[in-house]
Amino acid sequence: MSQEYAVEMHGISKAFGNKIANSQVELTLKRGEILSLLGENGSGKTTLVNMLAGIYAPDAGTILIDGKEVEIRSPEDAKRLGVGMVHQHSKLVEAFDAADNITIGTEKGALFLKKDRYKEIQEIADRFGFRIDLRKKVHNMSVSEKQTLEIMKVLYYGAKIIILDEPTAVLTVQEIAKLFDVLRRMREEGHSIIIITHKLNEVMEISDRVAILRKGEYITTVNTAETNEQELTEWMVGSKIDLNIAHPVSEKTEPLLEIRDLTVLSDEGNAAIDGLNFYIRGGEILGVAGIAGCGQRELCEAIAGLRPVQSGAIVHKGENIVGKTPKQILEKGIAMSFIPEDRLGMGLVPSMSIAENMILKTYKDTPGLFVDMKKGTQEAEEVIEKLGVVTQGTFEPVRRLSGGNVQKVLLGREIKGEPNVIVTAYPVRGLDINSSYQIYDILNQQKMKGVGILFVGEDLDIMLELCDKIMVLCHSKVMGVVNANHTTKEELGLMMTGSLDLTEKDASKPYGIARDTQIDEATLEAVEAAKDVREAEAALAEAEEQVAAAREAAEAAREAAKAAAEAARSAENAKGGE
Amino acid sequence: MKKRILALLLSCAMVVGLAACGGGSSDNGGGAADNGSAPAPAAEDAESAGEAGSTDLADLTVGAIYINGKNDTAGYTYQHSNGIITAMRNLGMDVDSQLYVVDYVEEDYDAVCQAIDTLVGEGCDIIFGISFGYLDAFNDKAAEYPDVIFSHGTGYLCNDTNFNNYFGRAYQARYLAGIVAGLKSLEEGNNNIGYVAAFGTEYAETASGINGFAMGVRAVNPDATIYVKELGAWGDEPNEYAFAEELINSYNCCVISQHCDSAQAMIAAADAGVYGCGYNSDMTEDAPTAVLTSAVWHWDVYYQTAIEAAAACGGDASQFVTQMGGPAYYAGLAEGFVGYAPLNEAIAPANAQAYLDAVSDLIISGEWDVFSGTALSFEEAEDGTVTVVQTPADLVDNEGNVIVEAGGPSVEDSVITGTMDWFVEGVQDVAG
Amino acid sequence: MPFHVIKRDSCPLSKKILYYVIAIVIALLIGAAILAAIGVNPLSYYFNMATMGMVGNRIAYKAFENYLKVFVPLVLTSVALSFAFKMRFWNIGGEGQFIMGSLAAAFVAFKFGPVLPQPLTLLLMCVGAVVVAGVYGCFVAALKVKFGTNETLLTLMLNYIALYIIIYFANTAGDWNIFLNPNSARTTFGSFAEYASWPGIPIGRFTLNICVIFTIIICIIAHIYLKRTKHGYEIAVVGDSPNSARYAGMNVGKIIVRTVFLSAALIGLAAAFKVGTAGILSTAITGNVGWTGVIVAWLAKLSTGGIFIVSALISILNYGSTVAASTFGAVDANFANMLQGMILFAVLVADFFCRFRLVRTEKAVPAAAAVKADAPEAAEIPAAPAEAEIPADAAEAAAQAGEEVSNEQ
Repeated sequence: MSQEYAVEMHGISKAFGNKIANSQVELTLKRGEILSLLGENGSGKTTLVNMLAGIYAPDAGTILIDGKEVEIRSPEDAKRLGVGMVHQHSKLVEAFDAADNITIGTEKGALFLKKDRYKEIQEIADRFGFRIDLRKKVHNMSVSEKQTLEIMKVLYYGAKIIILDEPTAVLTVQEIAKLFDVLRRMREEGHSIIIITHKLNEVMEISDRVAILRKGEYITTVNTAETNEQELTEWMVGSKIDLNIAHPVSEKTEPLLEIRDLTVLSDEGNAAIDGLNFYIRGGEILGVAGIAGCGQRELCEAIAGLRPVQSGAIVHKGENIVGKTPKQILEKGIAMSFIPEDRLGMGLVPSMSIAENMILKTYKDTPGLFVDMKKGTQEAEEVIEKLGVVTQGTFEPVRRLSGGNVQKVLLGREIKGEPNVIVTAYPVRGLDINSSYQIYDILNQQKMKGVGILFVGEDLDIMLELCDKIMVLCHSKVMGVVNANHTTKEELGLMMTGSLDLTEKDASKPYGIARDTQIDEATLEAVEAAKDVREAEAALAEAEEQVAAAREAAEAAREAAKAAAEAARSAENAKGGE
Repeated sequence: MKKRILALLLSCAMVVGLAACGGGSSDNGGGAADNGSAPAPAAEDAESAGEAGSTDLADLTVGAIYINGKNDTAGYTYQHSNGIITAMRNLGMDVDSQLYVVDYVEEDYDAVCQAIDTLVGEGCDIIFGISFGYLDAFNDKAAEYPDVIFSHGTGYLCNDTNFNNYFGRAYQARYLAGIVAGLKSLEEGNNNIGYVAAFGTEYAETASGINGFAMGVRAVNPDATIYVKELGAWGDEPNEYAFAEELINSYNCCVISQHCDSAQAMIAAADAGVYGCGYNSDMTEDAPTAVLTSAVWHWDVYYQTAIEAAAACGGDASQFVTQMGGPAYYAGLAEGFVGYAPLNEAIAPANAQAYLDAVSDLIISGEWDVFSGTALSFEEAEDGTVTVVQTPADLVDNEGNVIVEAGGPSVEDSVITGTMDWFVEGVQDVAG
Repeated sequence: MPFHVIKRDSCPLSKKILYYVIAIVIALLIGAAILAAIGVNPLSYYFNMATMGMVGNRIAYKAFENYLKVFVPLVLTSVALSFAFKMRFWNIGGEGQFIMGSLAAAFVAFKFGPVLPQPLTLLLMCVGAVVVAGVYGCFVAALKVKFGTNETLLTLMLNYIALYIIIYFANTAGDWNIFLNPNSARTTFGSFAEYASWPGIPIGRFTLNICVIFTIIICIIAHIYLKRTKHGYEIAVVGDSPNSARYAGMNVGKIIVRTVFLSAALIGLAAAFKVGTAGILSTAITGNVGWTGVIVAWLAKLSTGGIFIVSALISILNYGSTVAASTFGAVDANFANMLQGMILFAVLVADFFCRFRLVRTEKAVPAAAAVKADAPEAAEIPAAPAEAEIPADAAEAAAQAGEEVSNEQ
């Protein structure tokens, strides 16, 4: 009867502890359609599909596949039922090549890999339009290639129902377009696809229908053609919301922070930031865009004094702060609110109360042996009131706060110190839309006060609206700084992948260097000298390489000549013997 | 960390099971013994002791501090525990209500003091300690509680009032066992005899045992060599067996003696088809095909004497040492404190009993003792009568030093006083 | 019937107390059954244990003095360990640090006791013990800071090294070995009680060892240090989020080394108290406080006040068990230890139920899947450090964890 549906999930509930992740959720997936599963962070999307993929068992509810009720006890069961999931984070074997990653776990009992595996997989790749080198090792692959491989793996297993969990989060615009092409191709082949996302434009672009969850509850499922972004947002958030981010115009002042020829090493010892130049003026928000791991984190840490600088200068109001301790840098008014993946990792102490967290950077300033908790409590009260932090009180540990409130506490503290530069990375990651907008408001207020803000972000749409300028990083190098009003997502996407480099565009104007620089001559000279050394060293290395190559060539030629002479001589002998 | 604690606790939980079984079975044993207790002669003893202003035995409380468990079924602690319980039963005392024991007390000054305080608090009138390392604590506590009697097995500290030492002349029993071993070696035509010892010359207790045994062997077989292997611990069952095995295989020993907690060395001898002389208690049951005899302790002899003396003090603990006739109780064959287990008739050397009887008489009468300048030799008549011949001879250690001039008196074996830190000639220390 | 474990957001105090009471009652009932089975009256046994045999004891004051001798090293060691644990530095080297402290204190007593006035000797013993134990501990911290070595392994191994050092001194005769008793034929530790012994304050027949007063003062100072001072604040920050600490300008390495030094030094002080009270060394000098202290610190959730109370209770359990065992022929010290272990285990179970609860898995969810569903919580348990609670906010995060767990399987 319900053969039109590939998957039906009815009355699905699932709780983790006291937290209800799903409550009476309904989900239907038609054959040969792309269904978007839409919802804010924490709305239970991943939990729901994980139950389909056999990772969790529902506390209540039934699952039907092809109209038959099934019990999915494990990912193996899911595989057998033709359900395949592409996770947010790659689960590939780094040391294996693409084809082997696909075939491991399939050739049951076979000791040796079949020789025809490359051919077999290539056929699948051609059918769906994947462009991938099957002999490439995974550790050499980009994020997008890894994702492609994950999808191919699922297809190779014969999955007809394919789940993609936030596949676009790590991709550039161009890569997203390619991905969507593949998804459409799969749909044509009769596959049914669930794609999880919280980006509305993508929902509108790719899906046939949209299912919406909010706080673990099922809201509705609609045909994409019959809805619009505003309506979807309201379902998702539960209230009307203004989707426009304010972009107030501010008075720009002199450069507050100037970065010259900055080189920073990653934990592995490679250059994470390589010869970077840029500056931030007071009253502007400079966005930093780039695919994950292109050096954003290292840049922020270098500015805050948490990571040693290899060479170059970080000049704050004319003073080079390279080599200063984090404490000294803080005192200069450079505030950092760095939100890594775990949200509480840097800047806040999870088990401590809001009040205790308030004095994290100033506890040493009060005289005597003891910590001044009165001050902390007072400051906490102010931040709670000013930014509308929802909490039981100043004594509440920050780990008990929701993500948005955590972020408010963190930003609130940074702002309290009246900084003149704020470095903030992924400040809205994991936040719901309302909270995100409040954060944008806070940042805009600071901008209007004349603070220079470095905003490391991941959502290009947001950055285009919020930032004044956007700097794009690719593989530790800057690809250019563009005016947010005069650029497009496509252009940014090209720059993020390194296809477009705007740094050489205007030869008359050296890139990333402010005309009214505050850097003094001595520092400049030192930086120049260091740069010269670096370049000279690079040139030397190159020259040495060339010499070595030449030497090798000469050696080869000599060998050849010798061989030829030998041949000639033997020919001579042969002739003589004749 | 949490895992570690969990593991710890789980192992505790496992012990629950084991301890429950162990506790249950030992209880049965205790119950059975209980039924057979309160014999008539004991009551008589109690009466006789109850004269002349002495404390009634029924009002006397006994305390003891053990190095191992009071519910052990073998080993050093068991020997003492069994001795005290036997003595109390012989005296008609109620073990359940009159005996308090703190067991598993390490040789830690504080821990021993604490145990003593506990026993004093329970109202004990006399407290026995069985391990050498308790000595300092006993010494100090004897001064602190002059109204309590302290009695310490082994050691060199004591006072003139309420604190004495006790130990036995085990070497006398060893000498007798050595004679049996020596006779067996003659029978076997093999002069190699093995000895698995806990320690060597560093403990006078082990040294005197080894020397006594060796002198017994060489009294009948002057050509014999006693190979000693040291465990470095009072009990180490796997090595007790392994060392005995090595003595048999590598040193071709035909008789194995031992000074360690278990009967493993005897079992090894039985397994290898050679002979053995046990120690502590009669080990014939453990290895019936090997054990010729055993040098044994009768701890109840001392404990009974001490408890009677305590009762005779009539509440004045300072009289105890006087009642005991001195601060160091050092009894042997004469008092029945040590002795030898009945010969294993099936395998014992012919006529061994005659030799034992002859030497026992000499020792018990006080005419002769082991570590003296007089050597014994034997003449066996046609009818089997054995005559002991005493010959003055230097007592020489295995490095050639004269310890006792020919004809000189017996030296103490030094378990309680002085130091015996040498091996007699004929003993060969084999690196352990 | 499948169950799964779920983390509690919070547990009201009344409920906590109820759990502890139930757990202890169950443990006591099981113990009572075993006691009855071996013919011991459980009631009188427990009475004896709880009162540490002090009722009807002619030297009850002595029993209390002995109880305090058990209590003082335990509470000091536990407080000391809590310093390091607060910082997530798993110092399980309490045993080794205690032994090294004891050796140092005894060395001072033997070396300087005969020539210096007693108060000065005692003071020097403390200084020696504090420095030696502190260095012995913070050596590991320095290695961790410098090379990222694992402190759990190193402190554990150093325990055994210390143990063998003291055994060496106990067993090796020689003129240089000043720890030994020169009058004993066998190697035994000598007494220095005549030169250095902590004085007591007589209260009737009871003598209050001055170390008890010192200990109470130290506990109060430790509490203030951890709760109110900048150092305490730094310890908490470093323990909870080293990245935040670095960001706030703290010298994390220095804080770790300093705190571990304090932790080990305090254990050294406990050793000086113990040795100075006993007046003699022993290879069993620690009384296992290095291990028991870990349990105490954990049960008390690292709060100094809690440690004080838990130490007091565990000392009663510990000391009371020995006393009770001496009264009943069928009960030996091993059995008493087993009962003690059972009660501790029950308390830990109660502690578990204060943090987590069991929930019946609904409906026809197959068992295998139920196990999978438990995975995220199961993954949380071993990772949960003493005090920290996992932010239980995100089901998504849990989902992620579950995913990883299932992937590992």
